Amino acid sequence: MGLFWKVGLINGAVLVAAAALLVLGPFSVSRRPVMSEVVVLGVGLLAMLVVNALLLRSSLGPVDRVVREMATVDPLHPTDRLATPRSAPGRQLVAGFNAMVDRLQDERSASNAKALAAQEAERHRIAQELHDEVGQRLTVVLLGLKRAEQRAPAELAADLALLRETTREGLDDVRRVARQLRPGVLEDLGLASALASLTTDFAQHSGAQVRRVVTPGLPPLPPDTELVLYRVAQEALTNAARHAGATSVELSLTRVGDRVALVVADDGHGFDVRREGAGLRGMRERARLASGELTVTSDPSGTTVRLEVPVTAS
Amino acid sequence: MSTPARILLADDHALVRRGVRLILDQEPDLTVVAEAADGAEAVQLVRSLDLDLVVLDIAMPRMTGLQAAREITRRTSHGDPPRMLMLSMHDNEQYFFESLKVGASGYVLKSAADEDLVGACRAALRGEAFVYPGAMSPLVRDYLDRMRRGERVPETVLTEREDEVLKLIAEGSSSKEIAAALTISVKTVERHRANILAKLGMRDRTQLTRYAIRAGLIEP
Ligand SMILES: Nc1ncnc2c1ncn2[C@@H]1O[C@H](COP(=O)(O)OP(=O)(O)OP(=O)(O)O)[C@@H](O)[C@H]1O
Ligand SMILES: [Mg+2]
Repeated sequence: MGLFWKVGLINGAVLVAAAALLVLGPFSVSRRPVMSEVVVLGVGLLAMLVVNALLLRSSLGPVDRVVREMATVDPLHPTDRLATPRSAPGRQLVAGFNAMVDRLQDERSASNAKALAAQEAERHRIAQELHDEVGQRLTVVLLGLKRAEQRAPAELAADLALLRETTREGLDDVRRVARQLRPGVLEDLGLASALASLTTDFAQHSGAQVRRVVTPGLPPLPPDTELVLYRVAQEALTNAARHAGATSVELSLTRVGDRVALVVADDGHGFDVRREGAGLRGMRERARLASGELTVTSDPSGTTVRLEVPVTAS
Repeated sequence: MSTPARILLADDHALVRRGVRLILDQEPDLTVVAEAADGAEAVQLVRSLDLDLVVLDIAMPRMTGLQAAREITRRTSHGDPPRMLMLSMHDNEQYFFESLKVGASGYVLKSAADEDLVGACRAALRGEAFVYPGAMSPLVRDYLDRMRRGERVPETVLTEREDEVLKLIAEGSSSKEIAAALTISVKTVERHRANILAKLGMRDRTQLTRYAIRAGLIEP
């Protein structure tokens, strides 16, 4: 029943009941009302108002509550939706609202996906260019200088050696930038090696012990999904190194039924998971790209980031 | 002196190939006898030529250097395959471990090729491994971890200096940084490094591969 009819019927029913009481009950109102009649009328009116208010509250209350709750929903959280109330008008409102939030979220994640994919493609292109063009040319210069140095008269050799060192530094810079843009190891050697490389880097740059468990024989995943797993592992490890104050961290990649689970767990001091920064939001967005499910749990004894992606995701 | 070692050089970049060739031909004990512009061509040439060493760039079209190395190892299961050395832009220890896995003796970074390549070729020809410096840290860290846990590790007697160098390597310091920290020359650091590798049983290719598999750095 629509909200209009419900309110109309409730009011109507109360008025009809009052009219019936007035007609059938032992009540009368004189042309000049005496005090007792006014009191009775007043009591009757009050009773009517109270009954009306109670009845209306049961049907409009849920609507108010829904309106209040709307403000706090986080569309990014797929599970953060309004609970469906039992009575009809609230239920319709909630259903409509949740559907809209879902639609909003779908659209947003579609455009985020596009932006992320475009960004990754661009990074890929630049990294490739750096490796294949700039890097090779600098290699040619480096080797040429070495050769020239071997044959140059002594007074030139020192200059050439200096140039050679500078060239090497340039080559190292190019390589470092390319590596930051795009992990070549993921493409060339696969996810297991890329994760191994992340943990090696982590062990080198933080004081914490790191353990890596990658189940052998994992099913092949689409490259986009591997990239999502890699980036989430990278961000989770960065957070563990930067914020956790952990003494040991474990990274695992295992198969769970028809899903692959990536877990990064640290034994640091934890944090309030409701206070997400750009890093955790980014992880959530990427998880959605791979139709995956990201859960972050944290307490004072450590933080666990878990990402599960379906094996058949395309 | 015996005849120089016969080398096949594979790189898709003609100028890089030329640069490497000039460096190698300069040495009396090394000679480049053939060049390939991609992995497939390299595999082909290995079958028809008598070679001692193949130097393979990793990033090549048609067939990467790693795929080519795997193919060369696989095809020459009887008889001696030529030794192989990988050459690459990527500064990442995983490439070195993958190189060992596909049967290569070592991994040389292009940005260090002017210094390391000749030495790496000679090491490979002797049957030794050329350990890419960036891979030293995970290797010796595993060793230190196992020692700390009280596991049995290869019996070694490192000198005090070697022990210091070992710890710095485990922390990921480069040769240059170690030299600065201990106020010794880079050359001395590198000599210590070679001694440490030998004492930990990681000098020859097969030993090193076995060690890396046990350390979980390479999947068997
Ligand atoms: N593993 C962790 N242990 C302890 N605190 C953490 C951990 N991960 C995140 N945090 C806390 O949560 C906050 C938000 O993390 P998030 O990754 O979203 O953003 P950030 O790391 O601060 O910024 P960004 O990653 O964008 O540079 C961090 O500032 C930190 O206080
Ligand atoms: Mg972060």
